[in-house]
Amino acid sequence: MLKIKQTEMPQLLNAWAQKSRVFVPQDRGGVSAFLPWDGKGTLTLGKGNTLEPPKDIFFPRTETMYRYQVAEAATTLETMPPQKEQHVLVGIRSCDARSLEIMDDVFLTKGYEDEFYRQKRENTVVIALACNEALPTCFCTAFEIDPGRAEGVDVQMWMTSDSYLVEAITDKGEELLKQTSELLTPVENETLPDAAKPTLKVDVEGITEKLQQMFEHLYWAEVSRKCLGCGACTYLCPTCHCFDIQSENRGSSGFKFRCWDSCMFSEYTRMAGGHNPRPSKKERMRNRFLHKLQYIPERYGKYGCVGCGRCLDRCPVNVDITRVIREIKEVTL
Amino acid sequence: MVDAVSSNPLVPELGKIIKIIQETPDVKTFHITTDKGKPFTPMPGQLAMLSLLDVGEAMFSITSQGPEYLEIAIKKVGTLTEALHEAEEGQTVGIRGPYGNGFPLDMMKGKNLLFIAGGIGLAPVRSLINYCAEHREDYGNMWIIYGSRSPADLCFKEDLTYNWFKVENCRVNVTVDRGDENWNGHEGFVPAYLEELKPSPENCVAVTCGPPIMIKFVLQSLEKLGFKDDQIVTTLEMRMKCGVGKCGRCNIGSHYVCLDGPVFTLEQLKKMPNEY
Ligand code: SF4
Ligand code: SF4
Ligand code: FES
Repeated sequence: MLKIKQTEMPQLLNAWAQKSRVFVPQDRGGVSAFLPWDGKGTLTLGKGNTLEPPKDIFFPRTETMYRYQVAEAATTLETMPPQKEQHVLVGIRSCDARSLEIMDDVFLTKGYEDEFYRQKRENTVVIALACNEALPTCFCTAFEIDPGRAEGVDVQMWMTSDSYLVEAITDKGEELLKQTSELLTPVENETLPDAAKPTLKVDVEGITEKLQQMFEHLYWAEVSRKCLGCGACTYLCPTCHCFDIQSENRGSSGFKFRCWDSCMFSEYTRMAGGHNPRPSKKERMRNRFLHKLQYIPERYGKYGCVGCGRCLDRCPVNVDITRVIREIKEVTL
Repeated sequence: MVDAVSSNPLVPELGKIIKIIQETPDVKTFHITTDKGKPFTPMPGQLAMLSLLDVGEAMFSITSQGPEYLEIAIKKVGTLTEALHEAEEGQTVGIRGPYGNGFPLDMMKGKNLLFIAGGIGLAPVRSLINYCAEHREDYGNMWIIYGSRSPADLCFKEDLTYNWFKVENCRVNVTVDRGDENWNGHEGFVPAYLEELKPSPENCVAVTCGPPIMIKFVLQSLEKLGFKDDQIVTTLEMRMKCGVGKCGRCNIGSHYVCLDGPVFTLEQLKKMPNEY
């Protein structure tokens, strides 16, 4: 195990930033987000989870897929150069670490690998930070996530009163820490701080099986009544991965890009002939909850919610997935 | 380190339209090839993502293929399809695929095959009919029942009136909702015609594609004739963007139509949420 004083963290980040692009929670106008470290920002590393999830580091809000030039003589298509830049993602919490596993299932399995995602995923060293304190909206433990130790990350960190304890988990993590060994002091027999204990308790046992029988239930009309269809819940959700593909033309040339989309928008499923299989917010909200709690579990064998609490924290009309789970367990079929 | 480019399923290859056939007033068939020849070799019922680079991209069923090209039949319904209808031979297109599961050829082996299609719904079924005609010894009797609104709306007329008659043990019945002065064939809707013709469900698989309303009544007629849910095969349409099960929008329950479909048996469909 290694150790570094909290006050020296900026130096460590600076050292990593010489070879890689370092993303670390920083303050941006009162909001905490994973932003590129330039040595000047205000770190919010130990202050609860970020409002924005880390997904855009692997799956940017908008991403150019290829460029083209349309011409009478010869139309050409130019692919994007492979992404070689190395990334270090510092300070993701256990819930968001689980979300990366779900994103991996979506983007890297079932017959096709999404190259845009894979390149960034492979070129990123992921460093987790254990939670000492839970926010009132945190319920990761409902999904058997340990706030004190993340799954599938390269390095795990813990915060003590004045330091960070740092442990390499993978070779990739080991490699990164070796590069900056002069800033990290080896220590032995350190006691790890107690992990956070989320107070928001939700029992998800049997929820998938219950939902499998609830597709036609009146509950969906009721729970979706207030929804504004703003999509904030899906934009902030670390596991929402839906995207649209669009092109931008400038005269005869242009580029094709993908951008985040949301199943909460009515256009999302509307077909060229006008038919829309999810015409109202009832169907759309049902899809969102079923996707998290039934469809992803059926398809990938794990829940699609990681209990980060972002959606319930920010929904303008207080749609709360923890309440929805409780209500679903109680409704009569 | 991955070298993105060619292995990237979201980036199309450039191809060309080498032939355009006007099937009906609003359906054209496009033959598409690339510098390397046929873009890929699909199985019957699979899909292709076709694009005009500066207009848009959409998923279409591949209706047939030659040694050097794919055939895609397209009905005018929106911006992209309108632009495609205005295109001329030589037009550059983007193409990627093949996508989807295709028809369950193994399950159909040795069976009598009943093909029931309406309008442009014959396009996906045609890929299967042509495949079975080429592998004639693997399948039992073939029977094609096809209908459209009017005689002018019949797609693939050459197949209906000539090519498929030459296939051994293949029967073709055509109907139109409403004939014109030159029409001396059958008049009436496909489901009613199907009930009149009374094909036997014995050792048979029925494949049906067409407008949703037709499918709905064809399924009822098939049930009346004694077909079981696992003897009925159909295709679904959903809005698609990625085609590879990533972008999320074509889901019906936990199935992605672009990946796990578009072909489903009625038995499978009945287990899925009714949201398509
Ligand atoms: S954040 Fe709330 S109001 Fe907005 S789309 Fe989601 S559930 Fe509806
Ligand atoms: S559904 Fe809500 S609580 Fe669950 S992972 Fe998404 S944003 Fe977090
Ligand atoms: S079209 Fe993207 S998931 Fe099916």
